[in-house]
Amino acid sequence: MFPQFGATAESLSKASSLVFRIGSDAHLYDDPEDVNIAPLLDSRYDSEICEALKRLLALIAQGFDVSRFFPQVVKNVASQSLEVKKLVYLYLLHYADKRPNEALLSINCFQKDLSDPNPLVRAWALRAMAGIRLHVISPIVLAAVSKSARDPSVYVRKCAANAIPKLSDLHQEENASALEEIVNILLSDQSPGVVGAAAAAFICVCPNKLSLLGRNFRKLCETLPDVEEWGQIVLIGILLRYVVARHGLPRESILFSSHSTRGPSSEEDGVDHAVLGNDSSNVEGMTYESDLTTLLSRCYIEGPDEYLSRSGFASMEASGLDPASFTSSKNNEDVRILLQCTSPLLWSHNSAVVLAAAGVHWIMTPREDVKRIVKPLLFLLRSSSASKYVVLCNIQVFAKAMPSLFAPHFEDFFISSSDSHQIKSLKLEILSTIATDSSISLIFQEFKDYIKDPNRKFVAATVAAIGLCAQRLPTTANACLDGLLALTRQEYLTSDLGLMDEEACVLAQAIMSIKAIIKQDPASHEKWELCIILSMTSSQVVLFAQGEETETFKKILTYVLELAKYDPNYDIRDRARVLKKLLSCYISSQVLEKGTSCSSDNTYSQKLLVEHIFGGKTKSTSSMPINDRFYLPGSLSQIVLHAAPGYEPLPKPCTLLYDDLVQRTEIVQGIEVSGRRTTNSDSFGTNDPDTLSGSLNEESASSYGSQYSITSSDKSEDSGSASEVDDTCDSLIHLSDTGTSHNKPGEIPEENDSLSFSDELRGLMSERALESWLNEQSGLSQLSSSIQKFPSFARISLRDIADRVKPKTYTLLDPANSNGLRVDYLFSSEVSTISSLLLCVEIFFDNHSTESLVNISLTDEDPNQNPESANQVSEKHESSSIPSDVPTVIPMEEITCLQPGQMEKKILQVRFHHHLLPLKLVIWCSGKKHPVKLRPDIGYFVKPLPMDIEAFICEESKLRGMFEYTRGCTFVDHIDELNHEKDHSALTKDRFLVLCRSLAVKMLSNANLFLVSVDMPVAVHLDDASGLCLRFSCEILSNCLPCLITLNVEGKCSEQLNVSVKVNCEETMFGLNLLNRVVAFLS
Amino acid sequence: MLQCIFLLSDSGEVMLEKQLTGHKVDRSICAWFWEEAISQGDSFKLLPVIASPTHYLFQIVREGVTFLACTQVEMPPLMGIEFLCRVADVLVDYLGGLNEDLIKDNFVIVYELLDEMIDNGFPLTTEPNILREMIAPPNIVSKMLSVVTGNSSNVSNTLPGATASCVPWRTADLKHASNEVYVDLVEEMDAIISRDGILVKCEIYGEVQVNSHLSGLPDLTLSFANPSILNDVRFHPCVRFRPWESNQILSFVPPDGEFKLMSYRIKKLKHTPLYVRPQLTSDAGTSRLSVLVGIRDDPGKTIDNVTVHFQLPPCVASADLTSNHGTVNILADKTCSWSIGRIPKDKAPSMSGTLVLESGLERLHVFPTFRVDFKIMGVALSGLQIDKLDLKNLPSPPYKGFRALTRAGEFEVYNE
Repeated sequence: MFPQFGATAESLSKASSLVFRIGSDAHLYDDPEDVNIAPLLDSRYDSEICEALKRLLALIAQGFDVSRFFPQVVKNVASQSLEVKKLVYLYLLHYADKRPNEALLSINCFQKDLSDPNPLVRAWALRAMAGIRLHVISPIVLAAVSKSARDPSVYVRKCAANAIPKLSDLHQEENASALEEIVNILLSDQSPGVVGAAAAAFICVCPNKLSLLGRNFRKLCETLPDVEEWGQIVLIGILLRYVVARHGLPRESILFSSHSTRGPSSEEDGVDHAVLGNDSSNVEGMTYESDLTTLLSRCYIEGPDEYLSRSGFASMEASGLDPASFTSSKNNEDVRILLQCTSPLLWSHNSAVVLAAAGVHWIMTPREDVKRIVKPLLFLLRSSSASKYVVLCNIQVFAKAMPSLFAPHFEDFFISSSDSHQIKSLKLEILSTIATDSSISLIFQEFKDYIKDPNRKFVAATVAAIGLCAQRLPTTANACLDGLLALTRQEYLTSDLGLMDEEACVLAQAIMSIKAIIKQDPASHEKWELCIILSMTSSQVVLFAQGEETETFKKILTYVLELAKYDPNYDIRDRARVLKKLLSCYISSQVLEKGTSCSSDNTYSQKLLVEHIFGGKTKSTSSMPINDRFYLPGSLSQIVLHAAPGYEPLPKPCTLLYDDLVQRTEIVQGIEVSGRRTTNSDSFGTNDPDTLSGSLNEESASSYGSQYSITSSDKSEDSGSASEVDDTCDSLIHLSDTGTSHNKPGEIPEENDSLSFSDELRGLMSERALESWLNEQSGLSQLSSSIQKFPSFARISLRDIADRVKPKTYTLLDPANSNGLRVDYLFSSEVSTISSLLLCVEIFFDNHSTESLVNISLTDEDPNQNPESANQVSEKHESSSIPSDVPTVIPMEEITCLQPGQMEKKILQVRFHHHLLPLKLVIWCSGKKHPVKLRPDIGYFVKPLPMDIEAFICEESKLRGMFEYTRGCTFVDHIDELNHEKDHSALTKDRFLVLCRSLAVKMLSNANLFLVSVDMPVAVHLDDASGLCLRFSCEILSNCLPCLITLNVEGKCSEQLNVSVKVNCEETMFGLNLLNRVVAFLS
Repeated sequence: MLQCIFLLSDSGEVMLEKQLTGHKVDRSICAWFWEEAISQGDSFKLLPVIASPTHYLFQIVREGVTFLACTQVEMPPLMGIEFLCRVADVLVDYLGGLNEDLIKDNFVIVYELLDEMIDNGFPLTTEPNILREMIAPPNIVSKMLSVVTGNSSNVSNTLPGATASCVPWRTADLKHASNEVYVDLVEEMDAIISRDGILVKCEIYGEVQVNSHLSGLPDLTLSFANPSILNDVRFHPCVRFRPWESNQILSFVPPDGEFKLMSYRIKKLKHTPLYVRPQLTSDAGTSRLSVLVGIRDDPGKTIDNVTVHFQLPPCVASADLTSNHGTVNILADKTCSWSIGRIPKDKAPSMSGTLVLESGLERLHVFPTFRVDFKIMGVALSGLQIDKLDLKNLPSPPYKGFRALTRAGEFEVYNE
C-alpha cells in the first residue's frame, strides 16, 4: 500500500548496518557484482585493483566461477603493492588448474620475485609458483625450490619444504630423486622450524625412504622439542617408523612382550600382569588382555586388513614374529633417545602432539613405564569436545589392551551432562572395560544416577555398560542383575501407557544385558529367569525367549503366550500369535520325538527356523566385532575403523639394514671427511705471525688455491697440477660446479643438468654464497628450456694482490704548523705483541726544515702517568688483557736528532678508547709541544682471520638476523684502472679480473682483512659483473669475535657498479661502524 | 593433509571456501554434510570425524559457525581438529567474536589469515603474535582510515623478525614505555555430587595466564610454593622443559600480550565452596521441586555470579518455580536457570515450586541434572600458590601483578 515506506525502511536498515560495517569489506561480500569488475582490474590505482580483486574473492567465497577474469588478474601479479600481490595469488591459485595457459604468463613475474630482497616476497612467489601445479613448469619450480631450500630466511626455507609435496603431487618420476635430495637437505636444516615442514614433506614424498634419516636421527630427536608443534606431530611418527625399521620392536613393551616369549605360558603372563595390574586375581580377564595385545601388535605391523585376512583368529600364535625382529628399549640407544625426547612432548599444549608422543610410548616403552602416558592422555579430555572424542577413541583401544593402565582413573570417565552422545557412550564403554572389583561399586553408584537421566538413549547405553561390567566381573553379576531387574520392573510400570520408542530401547537393552549375564553362568541364574519372564508381557519376550531348554521354561513360555493373546495391545497379540505358530513344533517336539519322528518337511524346516532364531546359533556371525580393528594410535583410520587411503602400518621390523645406512652415510661423509682433512692439514699457517702480518701474501693465496679439493677430493690432483701450470698466470680461476677445473680465465664451462643432484654436486652447491644467491640470475628466465641450468660459479685466486695493497697514509702534524716537522702515520697490519687492545701505528717523521730537529717524541696528552703505567705493562705481559692495565700509548723511543730531509719511521702502539673518537697526543720537538689528534680507523681494529670458504659460510650462518647489517654503495675505482690498462697494456686483460683486483685492493688497503674468496658468476655476457662476490674475514682485536664482510656486486664491468656490503658480526655497534667505514672508503 | 576448508553458517550456507591443494573439493560435499546433519540431528553435528562417501571430514562448531576441513588421505585427525580450533581462536581474536556477519564482513581478512596459517594443507604460521604482525587486525582506526584515504592495506610488507629467531613466538625488538607483567591463576572447579549428596569427584582445572608487556628479550622464571600438588601439566611452547623436569620451575621467554603459559589439573579436592541440594518428590501427577543453595566451605571471598541451570524432563508439562533470592527463568525448550548472583550472608537462597507432569503420568521417573555456575575472585581454590616471579634481561624493574580467580567448570549435582 505504501511502497515508498517499505523502501525507506529498507534503506534505513541498510544505512544503520552500514554504520557498523563501515570500513569493512561487508559491501563487497554482499554485492560483489554491483559494479563492473573488469575495468577496475585494469585501473592504474592499486586501491581500485584491490577492490576488484576483493569482489572476485567474494564471488569465489560464494561459489561462483569467475575464472573468466583470469587474464586480467594475472596481469596484476607484477604489482608492487603487497596487498594486490596477495589477493592475486589467492585468485590465481584457485583457478590455475582451469586456465593453465594463462597461468604461465605469471611465471616470469614469480621468478623476478624469487630474487627479491624481501624474504616475504620470495616466499609468496615460491608458494604461488609451486601452487600452480603445471607439469610444464615443474622443472622451473624444482629449480626454484632447490634454490629456496638454501635461502637465508627461515621462512622461505619453510615454504620451500611446503612446496615439495606440491611438486610430488604431479607424479613426475624424474623429479622424485631430486625432491628426496631437497627433503634431505631440509631435514638437516639448522632451524627447527624448517625441520618440521621438511618432516611433512618427507611423509608426502618418500615416507618409506627411512634410510634418509640414518645420519640425522639423533639430531632430529634432539631438535624435536624445538620443532614447531605441527611439525612435531609428523616428525614423531617418522622417528618411530625409523626405529622400528632399523632396530625392530622393543621386547619389553606391553604389546610385544607376548611375542618374545614365543607362545606365552599363562603363568608367566599372570606374573607379569600381577606386577602391573591391581586385579591380578582375574585370570580370565588377563588372558583376554594378552590375546588382545598380540592382536594389536600384529595389526600395528601388518595392518588389520592384511593380517586378519591372512591368519584369521585361530592362527594368531602360528604367525609369531621372528625373535630377531626385537630389540630392547632399555639397551638400545636409539630407542632410548627417542623415548627421552618424546616424553616432554607429553606436556605439549597441542593435543595432537601429546597423542602422537603417547603413541610412541605405547609402542616402544617398557611396560613398567607405559603408565606415564596415562595422565597426559586424561588431561586431553579437558580440551575441546572434538579433540575429546578422538582422544577417547584412542584411550578405548589402550584400555582394552591394558585395562589396568586406566583402572585407577575411572573417575575421569564419569559423564558430564555437556558431553555429546558419542562421548558419553565411549566413556561408558571404557568404564566397563576398566572396572575392577574395587572400583565397580563406585562406578555402579554413578551408573545409578545416569539411569535417571532424561536422555533415554544414554540410559540405554548405561544399561549396556552395566551388562558388560557384570560379564567382566562375575562376582558383581548378582548385584547387576538385581539392579537391572528393578529397572525393567520400573520401566514396565512407567511404560504402562504404551511404550515410547526411547523407553522401549532402554528396556530392550536391559533385557539384552540380563540375558548376557545369565548366559555366562546359566545354572546359578535359573531362578532369576522365572522372575523375569513373569514380569513381562510385552514384545520384549521375543528378545528374551531363547535358548533355555528346560521344561519349566517351556511351561512358562506357553503361559506367557497364552496371556499375551488377551493383551489390550493388538501389536502384542499379533506377535504372540506368530510366535505361537512358530514355536508350536518346538513346544510339542519333545512330545513328538517320543512317538513318531517329525514327518513332514514343513515341520522340519519350521523347527530349523526356530532353532536358528532361538537357539542362539545366529550368534557370532561376524567373525570379529568391528571395533576390534586396530590401527596405529592417533591415526585417522583408528577413528573411522577402516584403513584410510595412505594409511601405512609400522614398517617391517629390522628391514632397514645397517648396510643401507652405512652406504648412504659414507657418500655424505666422504665429502665431510675429505673436507676436514684438508682443513686440518692446510697451510694457512695460523700460528705463524709472519703469514698474518701481510694482509694477503703469495702463500695464503696459493693455499687457497688448493681449497677446491675440499669439495671434490677426487679432483684435487687435477686442481693441483692445474695450479702448477698456472703459476705463471696472473690469476687462477676455479669453476666450482663442474667436475674439472678450467684454467682458462673466462671460459664458459659445460653446465650441469640441474635435475641430477649427485651428492657431489650437493656439496659443491653449499659453497655458493647465500647472497649471490639472491642476485643469481640463473637460467630461470628461460621459460622455454625444459632443462634448467644452475648458474655456474668460477672461483678466482688473486695472486699478486699483496704487492698492490697500500695502506693509506694520514697526516698527523703539518710542517706549516710546526717548525718544519712533518709527521704522517698509517695503520699497520701488524698485531701488537703486548696487548690485544693495542694497535700498531707506523709513524713517519720527516724533517722539512733546514735545521736539524732534536728530541722528538710522541706521548700521551697526560704524560705524568705515562712512564709508570708503561712499566707496569711491560712487566705484566700476561695480564694485558685487563683493559685498565693497558696504557693509552706505549711510548716510542725518542728520536734524538733528525737531520733536514731525513725521515725516520717508528712504530707506536696505541690504545684507542673508542673506535671512532680521536686520541689526543702530544708531539715534543726541540722542546716545543705540539698537540695532535690521532684519528682511529676502525678497519684496523681487526686482524685477519684466515679461514676457508666452508668455515666462512658456517660462521656466517651463525651470525644471522640481528647480527647482519647490509648497506649499498657504488664503486667506480675500477673504471680508471680499466682505462689505464687500456692505454698501457697491449695485453687486454680480463675486465673481470681487473674489477676483482681493484675491489680487493681497495678493501685490503683500508682494513686489516683476510680475503676468503672471490666468486664470479659465469654469465652469458662477459661484461656483466652481477653476482660477483668477495668475502673477507677478520677478528676484532679486543675480544677476538669474528667479523665477516661480504661484497656483492651488481652492474656492468665497465660502468659504475652497485656494491652491497654485508657485515656479519656479533658486536652490533662495531659491526655497524665497520660497515659504514667500508661503505665510505669504497665509494 | 587437509585439502579444503569450508566455513558454514548456522543455516548451512557456505560462507567461504579455501582450497588448499591441487585436489579441489567440490562444495557439494557441504550439501551432503548439511543434509546428513538435518536428517541425523545434533549427534551428527557433534561428531568431529566423519567419513563421507568421498572425503573424510573434520568439523568443529564455534558460536554457530561450522568449520569443515576435508581430506582424502590418512592424517592425524587431531591435527586437523586442533588446527581448526586454532583458526577459530585466531578469528575470534581478530574479529572480536565469531558469527556469520563478522565472517562475511571481513572475508578478505579471513582469506588472508587462512592463506598464511596453512600452506598446501600443512599448518604454516599459527602463532597469533606473528600473524598479527603479518596481517593487521581490523580496528576502528584502520577502518576509518580506509574510508578516508581509500587505502586499506592490512598486509604487512615485511616478514616479522620472529620467524627467523629461536623464539618464534616473540616479536623481535619490542619496546614498551612501561614494563609490566601480570600473572593470573584462573581455575575451574569440576565436581560431581551424587544423588546421595556425596562428593564423587572434585578437581581443579587451572590455567596460568600471563599478560606480558615487557621490552627486549626478557627471561622469566616463575616458581610455585607447592608444585607437588599439581597432578598434570601442559605448557605453552615457550616453557623450557629442563628446569621443570628438574626443579619444577617455569623458565620462559614470554610472547608479548596475553597467553596461556600453562594449564594444570589438581585432583581429589575435598570440599566445594557451595552446597546445592535439589529435592524432587512426586505424587499423583505433580512433582515438588526444591533447591537449596548455601556456602559450605567459606573461601573467604564473596561467591559471585551463582547460577543453577537444569533441563526439565520432557514429560513435564508445565512448571511453576519461585525463589526467595534471585530470578528464575524457564525457556521454551524447558531449560531453567536460577540466577542467584551473590550469595547473601544472612539467608540461604532457595527455589521451590511444582512441576505438572503430562497427563497419565503418576510420578517422575527421570530427574534433571543441576549445573552450577559461580565465580570467586581473588582465590585459587586448589591452594596453588605462586612463590615468585624473577625477571632477567630487563632494562628497568617491571611492575608485577598477581591475581587469582576460581569459577565453576563442570559442576554437576544430581538431585537427592
